[in-house]
Amino acid sequence: MPLGIIFKRALRDIRQNLVTHIMTTIVVALTCLVFIFFCVFSINLQRVADRFGKELAIVVYLKKDLSHEKIPSLYQRILTLEGIENVKFVSSEEAFNRLENYFKDEKEILEGVDPLFLPPSFEIQINRAVYNPGRVISIANEISKWKEVEKVQYGKEWVDRLESFSKAVRVAVIASAILLLVMAAFVVSNTIKLTVYARQDEIEIMRLVGATNGFIQGPFLMASFFQGISGSLAALIAGFFCYEYVVNIISQSGLIRSLNLQFLPPSYMLVIVLVSGFFCMAGTAMALRRFLKL
Amino acid sequence: MLSGDQAVIELRQVHKQYAPDIVALEEVDLSISKGEFVFLTGPSGAGKSTFLRMLYKAEEPTKGTIIIDGVDLSSLSKSQIPQLRRKVGVIFQDFKLLYNKTVFENVALSLEVLGLKKSQLDNRVRQVVEGVGLSGKLHRKAVQLSGGEQQRVAIARAVVNRPPIILADEPTGNLDRKRTMEVVALMEELNARGATIIFATHDDALFKNTHRRVLKLKDGKIEEV
Repeated sequence: MPLGIIFKRALRDIRQNLVTHIMTTIVVALTCLVFIFFCVFSINLQRVADRFGKELAIVVYLKKDLSHEKIPSLYQRILTLEGIENVKFVSSEEAFNRLENYFKDEKEILEGVDPLFLPPSFEIQINRAVYNPGRVISIANEISKWKEVEKVQYGKEWVDRLESFSKAVRVAVIASAILLLVMAAFVVSNTIKLTVYARQDEIEIMRLVGATNGFIQGPFLMASFFQGISGSLAALIAGFFCYEYVVNIISQSGLIRSLNLQFLPPSYMLVIVLVSGFFCMAGTAMALRRFLKL
Repeated sequence: MLSGDQAVIELRQVHKQYAPDIVALEEVDLSISKGEFVFLTGPSGAGKSTFLRMLYKAEEPTKGTIIIDGVDLSSLSKSQIPQLRRKVGVIFQDFKLLYNKTVFENVALSLEVLGLKKSQLDNRVRQVVEGVGLSGKLHRKAVQLSGGEQQRVAIARAVVNRPPIILADEPTGNLDRKRTMEVVALMEELNARGATIIFATHDDALFKNTHRRVLKLKDGKIEEV
């Protein structure tokens, strides 16, 4: 049967069963929306982990009572170590300034706090060309033995933690997404089944007057493909506005702003729309099997 | 019984039993020739509908062979059943209309399944609807029609694609005498054009003085009256 005829019959069916079609589309849209939230969360968490991973640094906290004269010699000593890209001294005052900038509008939290309460430190950037986790650890271990040094913290430590956290979240997201998809499959296929049940007399009559299975299935499948596409598009639009709203609220914080959060990439959106369309078609085909005795 | 040479419907030792002990048809042999008009009678529950349903493969016989237009129905695959049903127009006792669709849409359905476009089927649908006296109600929904009108829509739908075989299951059950005679006349006209017709009815008056063959179904057996 020509696609044009199937298309026309699908449109006619949608018009004649508009309420049922709208209800199914809403169910599809809600399902997609929850899935989109999971995806956006997972993608941005990965971005956070990636971003901090790029800023690998060793922070050497110096003893508070260390005299200023010893700083240049320590600086030179660090530079002699292999694989060092850059060394920056951060005084107690500068550390305090950074903290003030970080809090920005909530600066008053720091009122009355001694500007020198933070220890001075060196921030050591490792040369990316020679970077390997073992090297970072050996540099950190060596420096930590120096008597002027209070504590050595190397970024990898918490980047590792962030990465393992991110991995755990990703596993949780994938597991939840699978669970959600199974639930969604159940809900959507049942909604579709209800629409097919509501029209079982029509299907029976079509069979009795000599309609082929293709003739009966075609408009149902096309209409459900429309439902899948329009439901997922509606979910993407709603999801985008929710995302914008939430990002506007949380981006008051400089740290969050610097993370450059993003919505779903276009390729993800395309996949969601197409998968949703085909998913609904498959659900309808399964619901129809019983009536068509395939 | 007419000669089997030109048989368009043939039953050989057809047996239909519903578990465990309800026998609807008992080893029936029957041959209906091309162009024949046969009345099928019998009390309610005698198995007239079951008999007809087996002819368009809505039910399977428990045993035996049914041949329609030279084709053994047991040899048909599922995908071939629509072809059989396009050859056999059925007027259902309960009409089987799409009540939320118009008279036009209901009648056009039999042509749409053949893949005809609206422009191709428009004239034919109008002619047939006019033939059953409903041209003024072409765009009324089936649910808005009286029982007799719905019956006529069902007839129009069964004959619009000019099937060579027409099975009418109590097509006058809901009609008054005048409409009943109109339907019989319509069937006779279709028969005159070459269609083979089996007309199931329990209304004896319809075949009282007929020259047509009358088959009576009783206790699972078919006998000629």
